[in-house]
Amino acid sequence: MGTHEGRVSERKDVMGKQTILVVEDEVMIRMLMSDVLRDEGYLVIEAANGDEGKDLLMSGHDIDLIVTDVRMPGQIDGVELAAIAKRLEPERPVVVVSGHLPPAAANSADEFIAKPYLPSTFLQVILKLIGPPCHQPPHDRTG
Amino acid sequence: MSSAAARSHWLIVADSEVIVRNVLSDYLRQCGYKVIDAANTDEVRVILETGSAPVDAILSDAELGGTLNAFALRIMVRDRWPDIAFILVGNVDAAAKAAGELCDEGPHLKRPYDPQAVLAHIRRLLGNARR
Repeated sequence: MGTHEGRVSERKDVMGKQTILVVEDEVMIRMLMSDVLRDEGYLVIEAANGDEGKDLLMSGHDIDLIVTDVRMPGQIDGVELAAIAKRLEPERPVVVVSGHLPPAAANSADEFIAKPYLPSTFLQVILKLIGPPCHQPPHDRTG
Repeated sequence: MSSAAARSHWLIVADSEVIVRNVLSDYLRQCGYKVIDAANTDEVRVILETGSAPVDAILSDAELGGTLNAFALRIMVRDRWPDIAFILVGNVDAAAKAAGELCDEGPHLKRPYDPQAVLAHIRRLLGNARR
Protein backbone atom coordinates (compact mmCIF):
# COMPACT_ATOMS: atom_id res chain seq x y z
CA MET A 1 0.00 0.00 0.00
CA GLY A 2 1.22 3.45 -0.86
CA THR A 3 2.89 2.34 -4.09
CA HIS A 4 1.77 3.90 -7.32
CA GLU A 5 -0.20 0.79 -8.20
CA GLY A 6 -1.96 0.86 -4.84
CA ARG A 7 -3.07 4.48 -4.95
CA VAL A 8 -6.73 5.30 -4.81
CA SER A 9 -7.82 7.71 -7.53
CA GLU A 10 -11.56 8.14 -7.19
CA ARG A 11 -12.41 11.08 -9.33
CA LYS A 12 -12.47 10.68 -13.07
CA ASP A 13 -13.06 14.39 -13.52
CA VAL A 14 -9.69 15.21 -12.00
CA MET A 15 -7.64 12.31 -13.31
CA GLY A 16 -4.49 13.81 -14.70
CA LYS A 17 -4.38 16.49 -12.02
CA GLN A 18 -1.50 16.26 -9.62
CA THR A 19 -2.13 16.03 -5.89
CA ILE A 20 0.03 17.62 -3.24
CA LEU A 21 -0.01 16.73 0.44
CA VAL A 22 0.58 19.78 2.63
CA VAL A 23 1.62 19.00 6.20
CA GLU A 24 1.69 22.03 8.50
CA ASP A 25 0.46 22.54 12.04
CA GLU A 26 -0.16 26.31 11.82
CA VAL A 27 -3.63 26.47 10.32
CA MET A 28 -3.29 29.87 8.65
CA ILE A 29 0.02 28.90 7.02
CA ARG A 30 -1.48 25.60 5.89
CA MET A 31 -4.46 27.48 4.47
CA LEU A 32 -2.22 29.92 2.61
CA MET A 33 0.00 27.19 1.15
CA SER A 34 -3.02 25.15 0.10
CA ASP A 35 -4.76 28.16 -1.45
CA VAL A 36 -1.65 29.05 -3.47
CA LEU A 37 -1.49 25.50 -4.82
CA ARG A 38 -5.23 25.19 -5.51
CA ASP A 39 -5.28 28.56 -7.28
CA GLU A 40 -2.53 27.19 -9.51
CA GLY A 41 -4.71 24.16 -10.30
CA TYR A 42 -3.23 21.43 -8.14
CA LEU A 43 -5.35 19.20 -5.96
CA VAL A 44 -4.38 19.54 -2.33
CA ILE A 45 -4.93 17.38 0.70
CA GLU A 46 -4.01 18.72 4.09
CA ALA A 47 -2.59 17.32 7.29
CA ALA A 48 -2.21 19.21 10.53
CA ASN A 49 0.77 17.22 11.79
CA GLY A 50 3.11 14.35 10.97
CA ASP A 51 0.81 11.68 12.37
CA GLU A 52 -1.99 12.80 10.06
CA GLY A 53 0.46 12.97 7.20
CA LYS A 54 1.45 9.38 7.82
CA ASP A 55 -2.20 8.29 7.93
CA LEU A 56 -2.79 9.88 4.55
CA LEU A 57 0.31 8.28 3.06
CA MET A 58 -0.68 4.87 4.40
CA SER A 59 -4.27 5.20 3.16
CA GLY A 60 -3.14 4.85 -0.44
CA HIS A 61 -4.45 8.29 -1.34
CA ASP A 62 -3.07 9.44 -4.66
CA ILE A 63 -0.25 11.86 -3.75
CA ASP A 64 2.31 13.20 -6.20
CA LEU A 65 4.38 15.41 -3.88
CA ILE A 66 4.67 16.10 -0.19
CA VAL A 67 5.37 19.47 1.43
CA THR A 68 6.05 19.26 5.10
CA ASP A 69 6.97 21.51 7.96
CA VAL A 70 9.54 20.08 10.34
CA ARG A 71 8.53 20.97 13.87
CA MET A 72 5.00 19.83 14.55
CA PRO A 73 3.22 18.43 17.59
CA GLY A 74 2.65 14.71 17.77
CA GLN A 75 4.76 11.59 17.49
CA ILE A 76 6.11 12.14 13.98
CA ASP A 77 7.97 15.26 12.91
CA GLY A 78 8.55 16.39 9.37
CA VAL A 79 11.93 14.71 9.06
CA GLU A 80 10.52 11.34 10.01
CA LEU A 81 7.51 11.87 7.77
CA ALA A 82 9.83 12.62 4.87
CA ALA A 83 11.70 9.39 5.57
CA ILE A 84 8.44 7.41 5.68
CA ALA A 85 7.34 8.97 2.41
CA LYS A 86 10.61 8.01 0.74
CA ARG A 87 10.40 4.43 2.00
CA LEU A 88 6.92 4.14 0.51
CA GLU A 89 7.75 5.77 -2.84
CA PRO A 90 11.40 6.72 -3.31
CA GLU A 91 10.75 8.62 -6.52
CA ARG A 92 7.98 10.84 -5.11
CA PRO A 93 9.37 14.30 -4.30
CA VAL A 94 9.41 15.60 -0.75
CA VAL A 95 9.83 19.27 0.08
CA VAL A 96 10.78 20.29 3.60
CA VAL A 97 9.87 23.76 4.82
CA SER A 98 11.56 25.13 7.91
CA GLY A 99 13.49 27.92 9.48
CA HIS A 100 16.62 25.86 9.05
CA LEU A 101 17.36 22.54 7.36
CA PRO A 102 17.80 19.76 9.89
CA PRO A 103 20.78 17.66 8.85
CA ALA A 104 18.69 14.48 9.08
CA ALA A 105 16.31 15.81 6.45
CA ALA A 106 19.02 16.07 3.84
CA ASN A 107 18.68 12.36 3.01
CA SER A 108 14.92 12.41 2.53
CA ALA A 109 14.13 15.87 1.17
CA ASP A 110 14.39 16.67 -2.52
CA GLU A 111 14.14 20.38 -1.85
CA PHE A 112 14.28 22.66 1.13
CA ILE A 113 12.41 25.96 1.43
CA ALA A 114 13.52 28.32 4.17
CA LYS A 115 10.89 30.21 6.12
CA PRO A 116 9.77 32.88 5.54
CA TYR A 117 9.19 32.45 1.84
CA LEU A 118 7.23 34.08 -0.94
CA PRO A 119 4.34 32.18 -2.55
CA SER A 120 6.11 32.58 -5.90
CA THR A 121 9.23 30.88 -4.52
CA PHE A 122 7.10 28.06 -3.16
CA LEU A 123 5.38 27.58 -6.52
CA GLN A 124 8.63 27.62 -8.44
CA VAL A 125 9.93 24.73 -6.36
CA ILE A 126 6.75 22.73 -6.89
CA LEU A 127 6.78 23.36 -10.64
CA LYS A 128 10.41 22.33 -10.85
CA LEU A 129 9.72 19.02 -9.10
CA ILE A 130 6.44 17.86 -10.62
CA GLY A 131 5.62 20.29 -13.38
CA PRO A 132 2.21 21.89 -13.95
CA PRO A 133 -1.00 20.65 -12.30
CA CYS A 134 -2.11 18.46 -15.21
CA HIS A 135 0.61 15.95 -16.00
CA GLN A 136 -1.13 13.72 -18.50
CA PRO A 137 -1.33 14.73 -22.14
CA PRO A 138 -4.95 15.30 -23.26
CA HIS A 139 -5.13 12.19 -25.43
CA ASP A 140 -4.25 10.01 -22.40
CA ARG A 141 -6.95 11.37 -20.11
CA THR A 142 -10.04 9.32 -19.42
CA GLY A 143 -13.47 10.29 -18.14
CA MET B 1 -27.62 29.36 6.62
CA SER B 2 -28.07 32.96 5.56
CA SER B 3 -30.13 33.76 2.50
CA ALA B 4 -28.83 32.51 -0.81
CA ALA B 5 -28.11 36.04 -2.01
CA ALA B 6 -25.94 36.81 1.01
CA ARG B 7 -23.96 33.56 1.08
CA SER B 8 -20.26 33.67 0.46
CA HIS B 9 -20.15 29.86 0.11
CA TRP B 10 -17.27 29.47 2.51
CA LEU B 11 -17.33 26.47 4.81
CA ILE B 12 -15.16 25.12 7.56
CA VAL B 13 -14.96 21.33 7.73
CA ALA B 14 -13.74 20.31 11.16
CA ASP B 15 -12.88 16.73 12.02
CA SER B 16 -10.08 15.19 14.03
CA GLU B 17 -9.87 12.28 11.58
CA VAL B 18 -7.77 13.56 8.70
CA ILE B 19 -9.12 11.13 6.11
CA VAL B 20 -12.74 12.02 6.88
CA ARG B 21 -11.89 15.71 6.83
CA ASN B 22 -10.12 15.58 3.48
CA VAL B 23 -12.76 13.49 1.73
CA LEU B 24 -15.60 15.70 2.96
CA SER B 25 -13.71 18.87 2.05
CA ASP B 26 -12.92 17.57 -1.40
CA TYR B 27 -16.58 16.67 -2.00
CA LEU B 28 -17.79 20.08 -0.86
CA ARG B 29 -15.24 21.82 -3.08
CA GLN B 30 -16.66 19.90 -5.98
CA CYS B 31 -20.05 21.25 -4.93
CA GLY B 32 -18.63 24.72 -5.46
CA TYR B 33 -17.83 25.71 -1.91
CA LYS B 34 -14.61 27.26 -0.75
CA VAL B 35 -13.57 25.03 2.11
CA ILE B 36 -11.17 25.49 4.98
CA ASP B 37 -10.02 22.38 6.82
CA ALA B 38 -9.74 22.43 10.60
CA ALA B 39 -8.28 19.61 12.65
CA ASN B 40 -9.56 20.77 16.03
CA THR B 41 -11.59 23.45 17.81
CA ASP B 42 -8.54 25.66 18.27
CA GLU B 43 -8.03 25.84 14.52
CA VAL B 44 -11.69 26.76 14.01
CA ARG B 45 -11.28 29.60 16.49
CA VAL B 46 -8.15 30.87 14.78
CA ILE B 47 -9.88 30.86 11.40
CA LEU B 48 -12.89 32.75 12.73
CA GLU B 49 -10.99 35.19 14.90
CA THR B 50 -8.59 36.20 12.16
CA GLY B 51 -11.55 36.90 9.90
CA SER B 52 -9.62 35.41 7.01
CA ALA B 53 -12.75 34.19 5.26
CA PRO B 54 -16.48 35.05 5.34
CA VAL B 55 -17.57 31.68 6.71
CA ASP B 56 -21.19 30.70 6.13
CA ALA B 57 -21.22 27.40 7.93
CA ILE B 58 -19.19 24.95 9.93
CA LEU B 59 -19.57 21.20 9.53
CA SER B 60 -18.08 19.69 12.65
CA ASP B 61 -17.63 16.27 14.13
CA ALA B 62 -19.19 16.07 17.58
CA GLU B 63 -15.99 14.51 18.92
CA LEU B 64 -13.73 17.23 17.59
CA GLY B 65 -10.71 17.68 19.83
CA GLY B 66 -9.12 20.85 21.11
CA THR B 67 -9.16 23.18 24.06
CA LEU B 68 -12.95 23.43 23.77
CA ASN B 69 -15.09 20.47 22.90
CA ALA B 70 -17.36 20.70 19.86
CA PHE B 71 -20.43 21.59 21.89
CA ALA B 72 -18.69 24.44 23.67
CA LEU B 73 -17.38 25.61 20.30
CA ARG B 74 -20.91 25.61 18.91
CA ILE B 75 -22.09 27.77 21.80
CA MET B 76 -19.20 30.17 21.30
CA VAL B 77 -19.85 30.42 17.57
CA ARG B 78 -23.56 31.01 18.16
CA ASP B 79 -22.77 33.79 20.61
CA ARG B 80 -20.00 35.53 18.68
CA TRP B 81 -20.90 34.76 15.07
CA PRO B 82 -24.67 34.17 15.03
CA ASP B 83 -24.87 34.26 11.23
CA ILE B 84 -22.69 31.17 10.90
CA ALA B 85 -24.62 27.91 10.72
CA PHE B 86 -23.11 25.21 12.89
CA ILE B 87 -23.80 21.66 11.81
CA LEU B 88 -22.75 19.06 14.35
CA VAL B 89 -22.58 15.43 13.26
CA GLY B 90 -22.02 12.36 15.40
CA ASN B 91 -20.62 9.90 12.89
CA VAL B 92 -19.33 9.55 9.36
CA ASP B 93 -22.72 8.55 7.95
CA ALA B 94 -24.29 11.72 9.33
CA ALA B 95 -21.36 13.77 8.05
CA ALA B 96 -21.77 12.40 4.52
CA LYS B 97 -25.54 13.06 4.66
CA ALA B 98 -24.95 16.62 5.89
CA ALA B 99 -22.39 17.16 3.13
CA GLY B 100 -24.98 16.03 0.58
CA GLU B 101 -27.51 18.48 1.96
CA LEU B 102 -24.99 21.30 1.95
CA CYS B 103 -24.20 20.41 -1.62
CA ASP B 104 -27.86 20.78 -2.55
CA GLU B 105 -27.73 24.34 -1.23
CA GLY B 106 -24.32 25.10 -2.65
CA PRO B 107 -23.21 27.15 -5.64
CA HIS B 108 -23.55 24.30 -8.14
CA LEU B 109 -26.98 23.30 -6.79
CA LYS B 110 -26.32 19.67 -7.57
CA ARG B 111 -24.28 16.84 -6.18
CA PRO B 112 -21.23 15.74 -8.18
CA TYR B 113 -21.99 12.23 -6.94
CA ASP B 114 -24.04 10.58 -4.24
CA PRO B 115 -22.89 11.05 -0.63
CA GLN B 116 -22.90 7.25 -0.34
CA ALA B 117 -19.82 7.33 -2.58
CA VAL B 118 -18.24 9.78 -0.12
CA LEU B 119 -18.91 7.30 2.65
CA ALA B 120 -17.49 4.40 0.66
CA HIS B 121 -14.36 6.39 -0.14
CA ILE B 122 -13.84 7.32 3.50
CA ARG B 123 -14.26 3.72 4.62
CA ARG B 124 -11.87 2.42 1.99
CA LEU B 125 -9.14 4.93 2.87
CA LEU B 126 -9.62 4.37 6.59
CA GLY B 127 -9.38 0.65 6.05
CA ASN B 128 -6.11 1.06 4.14
CA ALA B 129 -4.62 3.36 6.77
CA ARG B 130 -5.39 1.02 9.61
CA ARG B 131 -3.85 -2.13 8.10
